Amino acid sequence: MHAIWSTEEVDQVKRRRQQAYKHGQKRLPTRVSDRVLLPVVAFLLVSGLYLTVHSRHARVGREVLRLEELKTELLQEQAELSTTLAELTSPARMLEQAEALGFRPATAMEIDYLEIEGYQAPAPFVPNRPPAGLAHEESSLSPAYTETLGERIFDWFGWGSGQ
Amino acid sequence: MNMNQLTRRRTQVVFGIMLLAVSAVLVQLVRVQYGTYAPIFARRVEVAENLEDEITPTRGLIYDRDGDLLATNAPMYYVEVEIIQLTDTSRREIAGVLSQVLNLPYDDLRNQLEADWEGAEQWRIRLRQTTDAGNNWPIIVDQVVADMLNGFLADPDAPDLSGLDLAPAPQRSYPDGTLMGHVLGFVNQLGEGFFGVEGYYDDWLTGQAITVENGDVPLQASLLPDTPAGVNLVLTIDLDIQQMVTDILAEAIENTGAESGQVIVMDPRNGEILAMTTLPPLDSNNYEPWLPAENDQEEEPVINPIVAGQFEPGSTFKVLTMAAALDAGVVAPDDIFVDEGVIEVGGVEIRNWNGGKWGPQTMTGCMQHSLNVCLANIAVNRLHATLFYEYMQAFGMGQLTGVDLAGEVAGQIRTPRHPEWTDADLGTNSFGQGISVTPMQLITAVAAVANDGVMVQPHVVRTVVGPEGEYWPQTIVLGQPISAETAHTLTAMLNESLNGETNFAQVTGYQLAGKTGTAQIPDEFGYDPTWTIASFIGWGPISDPAFIVLVRIDRPETSPWGSVVAAPVFRDIVERLVVMLEIPPDDLPQQLAVEQGE
Repeated sequence: MHAIWSTEEVDQVKRRRQQAYKHGQKRLPTRVSDRVLLPVVAFLLVSGLYLTVHSRHARVGREVLRLEELKTELLQEQAELSTTLAELTSPARMLEQAEALGFRPATAMEIDYLEIEGYQAPAPFVPNRPPAGLAHEESSLSPAYTETLGERIFDWFGWGSGQ
Repeated sequence: MNMNQLTRRRTQVVFGIMLLAVSAVLVQLVRVQYGTYAPIFARRVEVAENLEDEITPTRGLIYDRDGDLLATNAPMYYVEVEIIQLTDTSRREIAGVLSQVLNLPYDDLRNQLEADWEGAEQWRIRLRQTTDAGNNWPIIVDQVVADMLNGFLADPDAPDLSGLDLAPAPQRSYPDGTLMGHVLGFVNQLGEGFFGVEGYYDDWLTGQAITVENGDVPLQASLLPDTPAGVNLVLTIDLDIQQMVTDILAEAIENTGAESGQVIVMDPRNGEILAMTTLPPLDSNNYEPWLPAENDQEEEPVINPIVAGQFEPGSTFKVLTMAAALDAGVVAPDDIFVDEGVIEVGGVEIRNWNGGKWGPQTMTGCMQHSLNVCLANIAVNRLHATLFYEYMQAFGMGQLTGVDLAGEVAGQIRTPRHPEWTDADLGTNSFGQGISVTPMQLITAVAAVANDGVMVQPHVVRTVVGPEGEYWPQTIVLGQPISAETAHTLTAMLNESLNGETNFAQVTGYQLAGKTGTAQIPDEFGYDPTWTIASFIGWGPISDPAFIVLVRIDRPETSPWGSVVAAPVFRDIVERLVVMLEIPPDDLPQQLAVEQGE
């Protein structure tokens, strides 16, 4: 049995086909642009992340430099104060001040010696130990903070330095 | 405006902003690469990239035995100039300010500032000065001057110092000025230690420099290496005793019109040097006169006469001759020698210091009256050459003591093996002529008499403190030239002779032993007829010697004799020394026993 379409129905089908064809033309560039833009967006996201990490890295580096400068300044200030203190307490200066206050060195015959049981002489002077320092490798930050993606990829493929 | 137009406008704005940003980056890039300051940046990259940089650690500190700071590192600054920033005005005013503040020649500074540095591809220079000794060294300024210059740089109304910069440079500083100069030596502008402790322990004090490679990524977040600092040293020197000794010696030199003088105070039991002073002093902060000029091929100046200045010891040497004779058993304290006033040895007539005959004398009398004839007789007729020189070798004559001070010399003694040695040498050597020693050698040898015959190595460093811990140098025994019995006998003889020879050296309440010396000074014609070296060496208390003191005064004007010039200095020093070392008078134990009995 054959169905018989009216002329209106046939026109309606034609219009739908034409409409479908028109939309199809638009879908094709949309697919193409999706294929191009998605990697670009992904690349930009990764680059942005990378840039963020590196800018933090640089900020930390600058902070390290600032703290190093501060440390140097403090050490210089400490050295200057130590020198001033040593100058102020030098024997010549102390003797001068003692004489100005009316004191004079005692003679042997003016001193009374007493025997004190259990007396222990003061322990000999020992200065603080100087800073030991750290080897360069030890003082550097962990590779976790400094390794680049490129280095990691090179290592994966065995092209790197083999860490 | 429809939708399409709106979208287009927005896109244009975004692109415009991006274009501006990119343009700004490009302009800055071009400016850095080719702008006014491009050579400076290029130079910095050239210097920094992939080049090794040496980081020098802080130089170790030096303390006296009680913890007083003797040598430290003060902040100092090199005066540098960024050539590209200089203007005609700033060239003139930098030269003007520096010449006035630092008392440097204006023309020299101006010439340095106007030289064609850019032609030589030098973009940053360090200004230099020619010193009095002819050295051409960088200018260094202290914190006070640096603060003033920085104030000028920050003040728009101050002189225009555009281009001037101050680069930090650690500089050695000695808070006590000249007091410890000869002991410590000094450190030059290149950080190298010279003479004294600074020279001897230079490697230890400097520490271990670290070499780092500069990366090509700026501001890497890697810490600068923390270099291990140099060791800290604690000296055996007591700064209070050093000051006291220096004051007394300075007064003696002034009173006697002498040219120079030295004093050593040592603990004979362990060789610790408690004080060691030389006048005229060395100013370690202004060491320039002590350095040879860079183009000077002559020998370096004798920096410390105590370890590097040889002299003929004269009668103080008789202590060693008598020690040898007693120890060898060829004489006893009460043996009688009849002094005829002259003895001929190897064709040379030897006479006493006053040319007189002293008649019968015991050995103690020979020492008390310092009789040359008696001592020459002992050496020539009792000890003979072989034994005499064996003992002198055992006492370290002609050898280094090994004291930890840079620049020590060994002294000279001619033995029979020497082709020019004659019998006359034996005669003259016996009373300290024809032989040269350093003060350090003499006190080391005589200290053996004060220390039961055991000779120990003198030293000035008591403790070495490094990052890993402390190191306490042990007493080093150099030998035992004489027995303990001989040492006690000779000490008693010298105590008796001291009480009889000169009361200038006696100290109330303390029994001491000692010997004067009046040495002639050799010159190209024989001996100088005018000048002498007056000396005294003594120790005490004789029951348990805790110190030995050597006094040497060169070319005194008021009197040539050691008994008149040097012995009172010994007494003045010991009077203060027993207080500072807390040594009670000899009769104190009896006093305490009586008090406890009551």
